[in-house]
Order: sequence, then C-alpha cells, then structure tokens
Amino acid sequence: MALLALRDVTKRYPGVTALDAVDLEVEAGTVHALVGENGAGKSTLLKILAGAERADAGTIALDGTVLRLTSPRDGLRCGITVIYQEFALVPSLGADANIFLGMEPMRRGLLDGEAARRDAARALGELGAAFDPSTPVSRLSTAECQLVELARALVRDARVIALDEPTAALSTRETAHLFVQMRRMAERGLAVIFVSHRLEEVRAVSSTVTVLRDGRRVWTGPTAQVDEPALIRHMVGRDVEYERLAAQGGRGAGAGGTSDVVALEVRGLARRPRFADVSFTIRRGEIVGLAGLVGAGRTELARCLAGADRWDAGEVLLGGRPFRPRTPGDAIARGLAYVPEDRKTQGLILGLLVRENATLPSLRRFTRFGTLRLRAERDAAAAQIAAVELAPGTLERPAGTLSGGNQQKVVLAKWLLADADVLVVDEPTRGVDVGAKIEIHRQLRALADRGKAVLVISSELPEVLALADRILVMRAGRLSATFAAAEATPELVLAAALPEGHAA
Amino acid sequence: MSAPAAAAPPVRRGPPPLAKFGVPLALAAMLVAGTVLIPEFASPANLTTILLHASINAIIALGMTFVIVTAGIDLSVGSIVALAGVLAARTLTSAAVLGAVGPVGAALLAIAVGLGVGAALGLLNGGAVAYLRVAPFIVTLATMTIARGTARLVTGGVPVGYPDPGDAGYAAKVAALDVLHGLGGGRLPVPGLPSGFPVPALVMLLVIAVGAFVLTRTRFGRYVYAVGGNEEASRLSGVPVPFVKLAVYAIAGACSGLAAVLLVGQLRSGGPDAGTFYELNAIAAAVIGGTSLLGGTGTAWGTLIGALLLGVLNNALDLLGVQAFWQEIAKGGIILLAVLFDVWVTRTSAAAATKS
Repeated sequence: MALLALRDVTKRYPGVTALDAVDLEVEAGTVHALVGENGAGKSTLLKILAGAERADAGTIALDGTVLRLTSPRDGLRCGITVIYQEFALVPSLGADANIFLGMEPMRRGLLDGEAARRDAARALGELGAAFDPSTPVSRLSTAECQLVELARALVRDARVIALDEPTAALSTRETAHLFVQMRRMAERGLAVIFVSHRLEEVRAVSSTVTVLRDGRRVWTGPTAQVDEPALIRHMVGRDVEYERLAAQGGRGAGAGGTSDVVALEVRGLARRPRFADVSFTIRRGEIVGLAGLVGAGRTELARCLAGADRWDAGEVLLGGRPFRPRTPGDAIARGLAYVPEDRKTQGLILGLLVRENATLPSLRRFTRFGTLRLRAERDAAAAQIAAVELAPGTLERPAGTLSGGNQQKVVLAKWLLADADVLVVDEPTRGVDVGAKIEIHRQLRALADRGKAVLVISSELPEVLALADRILVMRAGRLSATFAAAEATPELVLAAALPEGHAA
Repeated sequence: MSAPAAAAPPVRRGPPPLAKFGVPLALAAMLVAGTVLIPEFASPANLTTILLHASINAIIALGMTFVIVTAGIDLSVGSIVALAGVLAARTLTSAAVLGAVGPVGAALLAIAVGLGVGAALGLLNGGAVAYLRVAPFIVTLATMTIARGTARLVTGGVPVGYPDPGDAGYAAKVAALDVLHGLGGGRLPVPGLPSGFPVPALVMLLVIAVGAFVLTRTRFGRYVYAVGGNEEASRLSGVPVPFVKLAVYAIAGACSGLAAVLLVGQLRSGGPDAGTFYELNAIAAAVIGGTSLLGGTGTAWGTLIGALLLGVLNNALDLLGVQAFWQEIAKGGIILLAVLFDVWVTRTSAAAATKS
C-alpha cells in the first residue's frame, strides 16, 4: 500500500478549477516526480498536501489513515513537509532556531538553545552541510537554505517531503548534492515528491512520474518507461479550446492584417540578472505572444517597458522615438500601457468603484483646473464598461465585489480607456472562466485591428497559440525562439521554454 | 498555480446603510440625551461653545484624514501647533514687525507664519515619507519631538504673548493680539443668537467644506483614495504616488498651522506646551468619523461628525460634573466602540460582497 494516497482531490477557485478529482499514490522509499505546465495544478496540490489550502473534495491518507488538514501545523504534525520555492524561513534567526521553529526544545519552561544547536548540527551534518548551525539564515545561500528546510523535515521525523522546483536556483554541483540527499531520504523510507520543469532532472532522480494538465492527472508511470518527448506530449496534449482569432485588417493595418509600421522596438534590453539581450519589434495591428515558464523574465521585461523598473542596458523605441520611462505615469503619457499580472494587488484598487478604477490612468482627460468633470467621467466609463460587456449596474460598485472574470474586464476597460498605442498585457486571463477568456481574447484582437500593438504574456500555451500573430519564447532571461503563428505548435513552444538541453 | 489570492482584501465604500448613518445617529442620540438629561445643554450659548471647542480639533483632524486615507499617520500635528503657535505669537508681538506694519499687518503676517511653518514641517514629513520611504510613524514621531523641542528652545519654555503693562510698545502688542483674537475667539453677531456665532467654528466649516470638495471632486482627491487603496496599482496606473504623499502631509501641516493661529488668537498667547495630545484627538475624530487606518476610506464630513461627537461628549460630561479622569475613560470607550463598529461594518460588507 502506498504511504501517501490522494483520492479525488478537487480544488476550485472563483472561475477556475485548479484540481479536478486528482488521484496520487506515493510509495515509501521512492522519489516521485510531479510535472506539468504552468497552471497545471502542481502548486495547488502541494498547498493542499501541506494543509495551507483546503480541498473542496477528496481525501488525503497517510498509511491508510485519512488526514484532516486544516492548517500547515496539522500537515507538519502528521509528518508532511512541503518545501516551497519561497522558503518558509525567518531570515534574522539562526539555522538552528529556524529548524526548531514552532517545536522548540524546552527545559524547565525555558528554551533549550543548547539542545537545539546540538540537534540542528546533527541533522545538518547528516545532510552534508558545512556551516555553523547558529548562522543567521539571511547569510546562507539558496542551497544552504534548502538544507535548513530539509533538516527541519528530518528533526520533525517527516514521512513525506515535497519539494517545489528545488533546483531552480541551484548550480549543477548543488543540484547533484541535493539529489544525493533526496535519494538518501528515500532510502530511509520517506516518500519524496519532486516538482520540476527540468525533465532531465526528473529522469535522473525520480522512479515514478505523474503528469498534471489543467488540474487533472493525465499520466502516471515508471520514469524508465517514458522519454522526454513523450512527457512533453503528455504535458501539452490537450484539445485546443480556443478558436483562432485571426487578424481582420482594419484601420492602420496593411493587407496582411498587420501594418508595416513598427510601434515598439526593443534592442538588446537587459536588467541583470533577470533578463538580458532581449530584442524584438511589434508592428501596429499585431499581437505578439510572449511565452515561457514562470520566472523566465517575462514580467520583469514588461515592468521595465512600463516604467515600473529600470533596465540597465539596451534601448527602446516607441513609435520610432527613444523611450525610457522613469515612472509608469511617463509610459502611459507616451502611449504605452502595462496591464499587470495580478489584478488584485496590482491591477485594481478593490475599494474604489468600478468607474473610479476604469478612469484612473486617464483621469487627466476628465479634469478641468484640477476639478473632476464627473459627468464626462461617468459617460466615458459607462461606454467602456459596455464595450467589454459588463453590466451597466456594475459601474458604481466597488471593484472588489465583482467576480474574477469581471474584474479582469474592468482592468481591460481601464486600459482601453487610456487609449495607449502599445499595450503590454501580462497574463490577461489568469483565473477567469472560459467564457470571460474568449471575450477578453476578442477584445485584444479588436484592439489590434484598430491599429494598436499588443504584447501578450501568457503561460497558457493554447492562449498564446490562439491569439498571437507571432510568438516569442523566453527561457532563463533570454529570447530562445521566435515563431510565426502558422509554424508554432505546443510542442515546439514548450521545448523552447523548458530549460536548455531538454528539448524534445 | 493560477490560484487567486485566498482572501480578497475587505471591500470598502459599499457599506450597509447603518455604516453610513451609524456615527451621525450616535451624535444625534447624544444630542437628544444631553438635551433631556442636562437643562442648560441645548441652549444656543452652550451649543456654540461646543462648536468653538470642537473647531481646532476638527481642522487638525481634516488634515489627518488626508494622511490616514493614504494609509499614513501624522503624530507631529500637536507639536506643529506648538511651534507654529509660538512663532506666530512672536511675529505678532515683535516690536519691529509692529513698528513696520502695525497691528493688522502683524496679525496677517502672523497668520502667514503659522500656516507657513505648519506647511513647511508637513513638507519635511511628506518628503521623508514619499522620497526617502521612511515609515510615516517614525518620521512624524521624530518631527513631533523636534518641533516640540524647538518650540521650548525658542521660548525658553514660557508662553509668548501677553505683554506686561510696563513693556515698551504695550499698547501696540495688545492691539495686535486683539486683532488676532477676532479670528480665534471672536463671535459674529447672528440674529437670534445672543452670544453670536464663533469665528473659529466658521473657519472649521469652511475648511471641512474645502476638504470635502478636494477629496471628492478633484483629481488629487481621487489620487488620495487610490494611493491609500492600493499603492502599487496606483503607481502602475500612472498616479504620481510620491507627490500625493508629499501633498497630504503638507496639508496636514498647514491645517495644524491654521489651528495654531486660531489657538494663539483665542488664548492671546502661544505656548510651547500647547497642542499636547492633539494628534491623538485628531486621529480619534477621523477614526470615529469612519476613516480606516488601513487607508482608502474616509470623508471630510465624517471627520467633522467625529470631532463634534467628541466635543459633545466632553461638554456633556463637563456639565454633568463628571470627573476629568472619568471623561478620559469615557472618550477611550467611544473610540473603541467606533473601531469595533468599523470592524463589524467591514465584515458585513465583505460578506455581502461575496454573496452578490
């Protein structure tokens, strides 16, 4: 019997099903890899396993006993440790204090620092760590922090350890060391779950692989039975759910749908270490997709173009003129608008009304001598709300009371109203339902047909393939490939996005 | 992976009806109770006294409202009242100034000094918050201490103002103090009001009205709410966030400067120990009036109601002969009730939002 058994685990967020009746069995003494595209449900699965999120349905059993996990504390107590990419460590505390955080050894009602140091040193020693256990975590490297997390799992007598992309920031040598430790933990009878995008590593360290796609388990089997192209096929092999929205050719557009007028030209742009050497152009009337894994540097690039961050090398031409915005306000005034990825924290002000959100970037137009022209503001906002097919009644409601899809439409309305020449859209349909997605795609295509240039960042391959006239792929901070819409396939794009040397 | 943030921040500005009228209702209830329980409470003379006493706090609280709506805080307003007050009083009673421009000119100059000192200190606060990105609590705590110390330093710790009869230029100084007293302690004759209407209360209504207009009808006002509601989203929307922050602290400073001038006029002197705890009264008025310390919510009229509620409470307890110590405790209780009410409203409206 499997040590850890998930049965029919389902998790829904407003507008999206993150996990749909997923089964997963992990045997003691094995390393079990979990792979899938961005948004396939891997992180959600780990959070549920940790007790940080609660499943809407389904069960988690450890050794045949069904667990009720309502907080991360429960998960830890049951012997399940999840190590996230963002470590759960307190930087100012020592490694020893971090290892025993929440379960400090006590003697006569007081902290027993000596015991903590001693046991921490032993656990770290077993993992081959070579630093003083009382070193503050802020002074440790990523790989050392990982060992602290692993040591924490050891002193807690964890039975299941899940690592979320643990090698993303490690050198080859550190990765090799981590793999040795993972195998040793498996040999001690633990179940180790390994989430990674690096298929080569998956093949090197795991004995079993499970592929998730769109919140469903699509394949599980021995690692030895599957090669990388087959894994990639499992990861992307789904029905294309979007209708291809071809360019219509409208105002400002040439015969081929897009015009020849370059709206935005990026030359050798770099913000080290996030991205470097990025060059591309977008013409008026064109939608360019920017694909890549999370962390490939796409959002960082977009934020530089938007004036939210600075770049340290390269140049940008907007409408043929040099462009170097100092603030987002600068960029908007020059005609480049950035629609950020996270609408709740960056895109909207949830406490403000829909109307107030919609007009925020273009408020200057609705002001005379500093005073708002409320009627003009309301009329313009109402017209734009109607254009994105939101009910008129939403205009005077706080943005926070709307559903995810409708919030995203407000974000879109806001930037449509700003009337920028170049629109950079970061994950425009994240967390919205299919109906809203299709509507948002239609809006973006309509914008391009009106002669705007649109750069769409998306982690959803079908979205990029359906929407873009051209597809750029970023990998580890660099452009790794460019495809015309006609020649791109999910397999080609994913292969260009996955870490080097692992192409299909 | 595409999981949205687990819980949306509480939804504001769509509160149930009770939230909108709760505090005004509480004020009305207190007025009714006062009228019933205390014979002299509802007399025109007493009601105008309440307005007079509430006016200085209301003016400072308006500036505080701008700051708190941006999710900031200004602890320095009370000390600014002291420093701006002593410098204004110095100007007003300076022999050189009086010799050059006379009592009316000196009064006008004193008003300018009070407002200028207040605004300048506010700009310092705002500059540190907006451009050096120091926490508002710390910046204004430092300004609070520095301004208070400076006020004591320049005065030697004694109030500036009423001259001794033997002083040179006694008559001119008294005349100048009387001019400013017309602003800080004067009363406008109003038919049917034997005691007249206090000038500072008029100034208060004017300031609140202007504040309300700025907050609700100007682009700057919209930006104030936007910055407090979500700073990053505002920045990405092109809102000049640093300027907005600079401006709200300057407004708070200027309001304190104005309050200082009124206070000097009222008392005919500027004391280095004036304005102690005014920052707390101003915060209390704003919070009771519905301004959330989390930022993004608050109105000028709400703050006026909050200041009046505190004023009525003080007055009623005075008239009832309640000991000063008990008054403090009662005031604390009211503030606590207001905050609990705010929490309740936030929860209810969040729940209502998820249902819709």
